[in-house]
Order: sequence, then C-alpha cells, then structure tokens
Amino acid sequence: MDTNETLRAHISALVDGELPQADAELALAALHETDGKVAWDRYHLIRDTLRATPAPALSPGFAEQLAARLAAEPGALAPDAGDSADSHNGSANGTTESTGQAAILANPGTS
Amino acid sequence: MTTERESDQLLVERVQAGDQKAFDLLVSKYQRRLMRLVSRLVHDPAEAEDVVQETFIKAYRALRHFRGDSAFYTWLYRIGINTAKNYLVTQGRRAPTSTETDAEGAEGFDDADSLRDINTPESMLASKQIAHTVNAAMEALPLELRTAIVLREIEGLSYEEISEVMACPIGTVRSRIFRAREVIADKLRPLLEFPVDKRR
Repeated sequence: MDTNETLRAHISALVDGELPQADAELALAALHETDGKVAWDRYHLIRDTLRATPAPALSPGFAEQLAARLAAEPGALAPDAGDSADSHNGSANGTTESTGQAAILANPGTS
Repeated sequence: MTTERESDQLLVERVQAGDQKAFDLLVSKYQRRLMRLVSRLVHDPAEAEDVVQETFIKAYRALRHFRGDSAFYTWLYRIGINTAKNYLVTQGRRAPTSTETDAEGAEGFDDADSLRDINTPESMLASKQIAHTVNAAMEALPLELRTAIVLREIEGLSYEEISEVMACPIGTVRSRIFRAREVIADKLRPLLEFPVDKRR
C-alpha cells in the first residue's frame, strides 16, 4: 500500500467512525489534499447511493409459507433433539468451533 | 428500558422455552432486513426469498444453542450469509474472485463509453447513472468485499459486529470495506472526472 492508499484507507475508516485516534491527525490532514477530499466525497456518494437503492420486497405469501414450515418443525426446540451440539454461542468463532447440528446449520457451507 | 439487543434476547428466551409465537415476532422484525442483505448476495428476488426462508428455518432449529453472547441479529445475519453462499455453490454459481475484479481496469468498465456520450455534465451526473454504476460495481465485487460493505453501508453494522458476522478480524473488515470502496470509486471515475471538452 502506498502512502496515498494508506491515507485513503484511514479516510475510509474515518467515514465509518472507526478510525483509531492515533491515525486521526493524519487522516484529517489528508482531507485537505485533493486525493483525500475526492476519496471522502466518493465514499459518501457510494454510501448515499447504496442506501437510496430499494431492496426487493418479500412476496405477499412469504409470512404464511414460513409460518407453515415453522409449524412443521416438531420438537426443534426440545431440550435434546438428538445431537450433542452445545457450544454455539453466537461468538465470532462459534460457527467454526462448534460441533454438531448447530455448527452445520450456522455454517452450511461446511456441511 | 431495554435495548434492542436485550428485547431480542427476551424473545429468544421465550422461543427457547417453547413459545413459537415469539419466533414469529423475530421473523416479522428481521424478514425485510434479511431480504435486503440476502438480495445483495443472491440477485434473483425469488431465490433470495427462498434463502431468507431457509435462514429462518435454520435459525429456529439452532436457536436452542444460542446463548446471547452476541446480538441475535449478528447471529442471524451470519446464518443468512452462509446460507446464501451455500445456495450459490449448489446452484453452480460463484462470486467473482478478487483476481478477476482487480484485473479489470477502470477502462474495462463496459458502460464507460456510453456514459461519456451523454451530452451534458448535469445528465452525466444524474443519480440514475451513478446508481447504476455503483450497483453494477457492487454486483461484480468478490463476495467477501460485497458482504462487508453491505453490512456496513446498508445494515449500518459496526466493524466489530461485522467481524462477528463474517468471523474475521476487525482489521480484515476495515480492509475489505476500503477495498470495496476503492473498486466502486474507480468505476465511478469515468462518470465524475471525464472532462467535458474531451467528451466529443
């Protein structure tokens, strides 16, 4: 990463309010340069554009269809439905470290 | 007063106690957000809807293992993203790789020439064309970059939350979001920088 790229990376984090304090002065100085100002403008343009783009709506029958499928899930929440998964805790590493059904469900790509 | 995370956790605990109606409330709350996220990964709306439905079923089945160490929605989003990835694999599709995206230069953008033909700077900067360019660039992003920027820009997640959803370090999140922005900004450049006097 060259210097300009590093500064733009700082600006990107600044746009998100995620820039470490130690890098703030450099990033703010970079915003006074053309490259930094252009990056700032474009990152916000991208954000505003993405947020303005509507998402497709769910079809009218979605809720009923899902409700019917959920109703057909017998004993899914019973204390022991036949697997020994016990370590899925929603943590960042839980998906890959868990064993059993929960890990398979949370990370179907590995199933 | 309870936070959103705490109120979700209350509903989760109700579901874990056997109250399926409480899960319906979570579905009602998150179905549109999940659709918004998944439709950025699986473009066909009907297919995206199938993935959303599958995500909720998987979440329901796995919910008894959820202990609330992270927010319910970050856990749900992770299941949604993995379900979408798995769906794309089973459909024989794949997201563009970093190499492919990186290989495209700014001049490789197919729409660049046609955009240059537009007569006025005002129309060249029209929001429709910018939206088209941004969304086309988004679709061409590698899945990891696309997922990261969608979670940040559209879902408004913090870097820490994204790192939980994507199971990667915060530094990787920061880098993925930056790289995604750089690729998209590069695609915007012909629209925003091409000098008026060189367009004819």
